Amino acid sequence: MIEVTNLGKTYRRGDGTPVAALKAVSFQIDKGEFVTIRGPSGSGKSSMLNIVGCLDRPTSGTYRLNGEELSGYSDKQLSHVRARKIGFVFQSFHLMPRTTALENVEIPMVYGPGRVDRKRALAGLERVGLGGRAHHYGTELSGGEQQRVAIARALINDPPLILADEPTGNLDSAAGAEVMAILRQLHREGRTVVLVTHDDAVAAYAEREILFRDGVLASDRKIAVLLGE
Amino acid sequence: MMAGVMIGICSLTILDSVGESTKRETMKRFKNMLGTFDTVIIRPGSGKTRGMVSLTNVPPTLKFEDAAAIAAELPEVKQVALLQNAFDIDVKYKDKNVSPAIFGVSANWLDLRGDELAEGNIISEEDIGSLARVAILGSDVLPLLFPEGDALGKTIRIGDVPFQVKGVLAQRGAGPGGGSLDNLILIPVTTASKRLFNRDFLTMVIAQLRDPEKSEAAVSKITALLRQRHHIAVSALDDFTMTSPQAVMAQVREMGSALSTILKGIATIAMLIGGAVIMSLMLISVSERRKEIGLRRSVGANRQDILLQFILEAALVSSIGGLVGIALGLGGTNLVARLEHLPPVLSLQALESAAGLSVGLGLLFGIYPAWKAAHVDPVKALGT
Repeated sequence: MIEVTNLGKTYRRGDGTPVAALKAVSFQIDKGEFVTIRGPSGSGKSSMLNIVGCLDRPTSGTYRLNGEELSGYSDKQLSHVRARKIGFVFQSFHLMPRTTALENVEIPMVYGPGRVDRKRALAGLERVGLGGRAHHYGTELSGGEQQRVAIARALINDPPLILADEPTGNLDSAAGAEVMAILRQLHREGRTVVLVTHDDAVAAYAEREILFRDGVLASDRKIAVLLGE
Repeated sequence: MMAGVMIGICSLTILDSVGESTKRETMKRFKNMLGTFDTVIIRPGSGKTRGMVSLTNVPPTLKFEDAAAIAAELPEVKQVALLQNAFDIDVKYKDKNVSPAIFGVSANWLDLRGDELAEGNIISEEDIGSLARVAILGSDVLPLLFPEGDALGKTIRIGDVPFQVKGVLAQRGAGPGGGSLDNLILIPVTTASKRLFNRDFLTMVIAQLRDPEKSEAAVSKITALLRQRHHIAVSALDDFTMTSPQAVMAQVREMGSALSTILKGIATIAMLIGGAVIMSLMLISVSERRKEIGLRRSVGANRQDILLQFILEAALVSSIGGLVGIALGLGGTNLVARLEHLPPVLSLQALESAAGLSVGLGLLFGIYPAWKAAHVDPVKALGT
């Protein structure tokens, strides 16, 4: 599903000096895998996730998603891919202020393939156990609930690829476990889940671990799934 | 953001409406002063006399015979009206005492001025011929001498000469300076000349033309006739001044359009300030909503979607601001009209341009902030 070949990303600092965030990285992720990307801060894992999520473009190399070569895509084409193929879950939720849970879930429908459909948005909230909270504002929900709203939002256009960046980083362990249980469920339904985390307990949900260090892929290994039912 | 547009649109509406209203009122006041349009006004002196002319401040050069000659010898002139006026003459009725302008006029005066009577009769040719002691009161004078309003037939004393009140004028309103044109008493010009002032010269002659289109030719003929009658040498200046109402009105119109131009300039500056306010507030809003922009981008919005969203928001907010501004502007216009005693003219043109401008301003000054919004880097905005 994801095919990254010799991919490099170079940023320019404020003073113009180039910084290589990614250097000739290559890997593949198959459809339906549950992969965790790990590594210290500045290792390049966030840059990788942004490129895989079509929010950013590589400076060299190629990136294929479902066989589509995306590195030369325009903003419009990349947005089109994001709307249909990718669901993001962020550490800080990014729910919109002064907006209800239901309205947050409806936002991607504006840009996705279908119409804005309130019933479908409500069904999405019910799926993450928040049907009764549809008309609450983000500020009225707990952290765990906010992240579940964000997951319902990420899923509303039915994307095959879920990209989660420290999804439990702002949650206590009980709420974090709930969120991870939902991500595992999505994996079992056949979606590809790519997870960036520092947390060993969270990483333990994945089947495979890709480790970045200094902008290169340091290791790539299958891991035993430690957390069962 | 709304407030910026509101202020801009509000001031535009007020300026435009008040400007229009001022223009109309100015025209009306000049018309009040000048009377009908097919006339030429002739005054003694070289035109250097300031303020209202009267027997005390004009040279005694324009005689009754001059007026008669103009009427008799020039076919371009249909008729002439005469005026011999003075101020500071005491007028008494019982214990009441006033000093309005005393206008000695010919019988056709009211006709040429376009004035009307509120009650009674006008000065007749018989009154002129018999040097009758009759008076017509201006509408400001009536309540001062006769608070009850029953003036007809009563005898007043003008400078100790008894006159019988024959009529009362309808109100004329204000002149160009804002002063009243109703503080006067009309008496027959012959009576004024022989019984009151003992003067044989006039302060003003109004010549009515047969063809107002040819006023220039008539003016030069009158000039020639008067110069000849006054034995003025070829190299010397006229000892009289002529004013054609058409020329004055043309000047007034020019003034009015200059006034409009200035007001429009002010309104435009106000709108530009409003636009700058829209722009800066929108830029603030864009930086406050970076996270929202990043989120929308992450779920599939492209740059164009964001651009459009922000432009439409700007236009919407700006139009709401514009509507409120129009409402406030109408209120303001009425207030200014009341304070300045102007008729409240609602300029439809002002409303249309205000409505159009408020949407247009939102669009125009929303473009740059919207472009900024569209180019927010979603990666940075989301802080991933």
